[in-house]
Amino acid sequence: MFLALKEIKHEKLRYGLIIGMVLLISYLVYILSGLAFGLAQQNTQGVESWGAERIVLDKDANTSLQQSLLTKSQTDKLTLSKNESYVGQSSVVAKGAKARNISAQFIGLDTKQYIAQDMKLTSGHQVNGANQVVVDSQFQQDGYKLGDTLKFNSKTQAYTIVGFTENAKLNIAPIIYGNLSTWRTLKNLPDSFTASGIVSKNAKYTSGIAQLKSYDVHTFIQALPGYSAQNTTFTLMIGFLMVISIVVIAVFLYILTIQKLPNYAVLRAQGVPAKTLVQNTISQALLLVSGGLVLAIALTALTASVLPMGVPIGFNLPLLAVITVGIILTGILGAIIPVRLILKVDPVSVIG
Amino acid sequence: MSVIELTNVNKSFGVDTSKIDVLQNINFSAQKGEVSLIVGPSGSGKSTFLTIAGGLQTPSSGQVVVESETMSQLSPKDRDALRLRKIGFILQAYNLVPYLTVAEQFQFVDRIKTQHNLSTSDLNALLQDLDIANLVKKYPSELSGGQMQRVAIARALYPDPEIILADEPTAALDSERVAVVGQLFQDLARQRDKALVVVTHDMRLEKYADHIYEILDGRMKQAS
Repeated sequence: MFLALKEIKHEKLRYGLIIGMVLLISYLVYILSGLAFGLAQQNTQGVESWGAERIVLDKDANTSLQQSLLTKSQTDKLTLSKNESYVGQSSVVAKGAKARNISAQFIGLDTKQYIAQDMKLTSGHQVNGANQVVVDSQFQQDGYKLGDTLKFNSKTQAYTIVGFTENAKLNIAPIIYGNLSTWRTLKNLPDSFTASGIVSKNAKYTSGIAQLKSYDVHTFIQALPGYSAQNTTFTLMIGFLMVISIVVIAVFLYILTIQKLPNYAVLRAQGVPAKTLVQNTISQALLLVSGGLVLAIALTALTASVLPMGVPIGFNLPLLAVITVGIILTGILGAIIPVRLILKVDPVSVIG
Repeated sequence: MSVIELTNVNKSFGVDTSKIDVLQNINFSAQKGEVSLIVGPSGSGKSTFLTIAGGLQTPSSGQVVVESETMSQLSPKDRDALRLRKIGFILQAYNLVPYLTVAEQFQFVDRIKTQHNLSTSDLNALLQDLDIANLVKKYPSELSGGQMQRVAIARALYPDPEIILADEPTAALDSERVAVVGQLFQDLARQRDKALVVVTHDMRLEKYADHIYEILDGRMKQAS
């Protein structure tokens, strides 16, 4: 560590450039993982806020809540417990008088069931009458206030915003909660349809009806449109970045080590153990990578604080910790590659 | 008493028709309290002799004994440890770490050999003798060739080795500095009971030597 620190202190520009390179790679990894996590959250926040463990859908709906319909004849055979709730989903364009139009997901609920009952509001009250909606706080950020009215698609009926709730996103769109009769209106469905599906907090819940199929929430989320493709893309990008960072760090350390070999040969001639020189190289890599990471974390935090609200970025501490450890291990791996050169250095080369 | 002894040492490189005998049947011993000068033209085998004596290379045949330890019987790690404890190298290419100040060169030695290095007062006296006491905060790149060589000498002497092997230690020094270094070598031998083996072209060191050997075409003979 002594040699590593002294060398970094003496060669500020050279090592500053390496730290800068680690900073940029790490920053990119943090931002990409933040975007991946943020997007994933915006796909699933709503479902997670329901505490869902199982989702019951029409078995021919391809695991899509949007495509599923539960008929009254089917649901009449069911007795739902306090752990189940009917959900009706419909994509809508919400139009306000003053604020801009917003593409949203309308979720119709039975106001007596647990999702509506347990919903945490940041302001206002639950839906307790006709033509009322509770909306995600994104509407607030877009200028909507309690008491403002919304119209959906080309319908003429106006709905009053009676409450705001946080973390209500599905398929990267804000959720508008209303009742199931409004959902039927938006879908142009008769009363013979009850809902799109049943959400249950019971991990073993099944309806017992042959036409309906019960999915665990993980399967349901993976089947959300674009969710898997999006996550795979980000995972691949982050993976490639990690591989690139190994190569770049290894190349830099390799070049630096080659430049130092005559010096190491002198030290080896003097009896300095190869282990000391190897430790020096690895501790130097650790210092450089740690320095780059600290700066990258600071820059990421700064970036996140100035990004517009519309950018779906989110940070998860365990995920960040895994990435940080991954980059540190990457740095160590990069430092181990030139170790072979140090072990093979010939002290005889400096004499004569 | 011999602290370093080479017996029937041969060293050759290559095989068959390309075989070159660099050292042939070398017998040499160095005693504590004496300065041995090894002279000879370039390519005569002086440097190979020094690397074999210091345990950096193994001979093709023959035996090297340093302080009663036979080099060929030691593992590479033990040879490293022996060099660190017993042998100080003064190299033509200077043995300084470029990113350490003069003072830090000695601090680095303290980190890898924690005991039996020179005391602070002895080090200060050595730096005064070599006229480099005012350079302790400077980096090697801020020193002249002569200053670097004197710092390198101090660096090699700092671990207080029994044996000092020097490769052209005065190549970059003017006559006045050569006299200082020569006298220092002689004092180290006489007053501190060190064995000094100096490989050099520089006959200005002749008057400080107790023994002078000449290597010519890989063969050694005692000149005086």
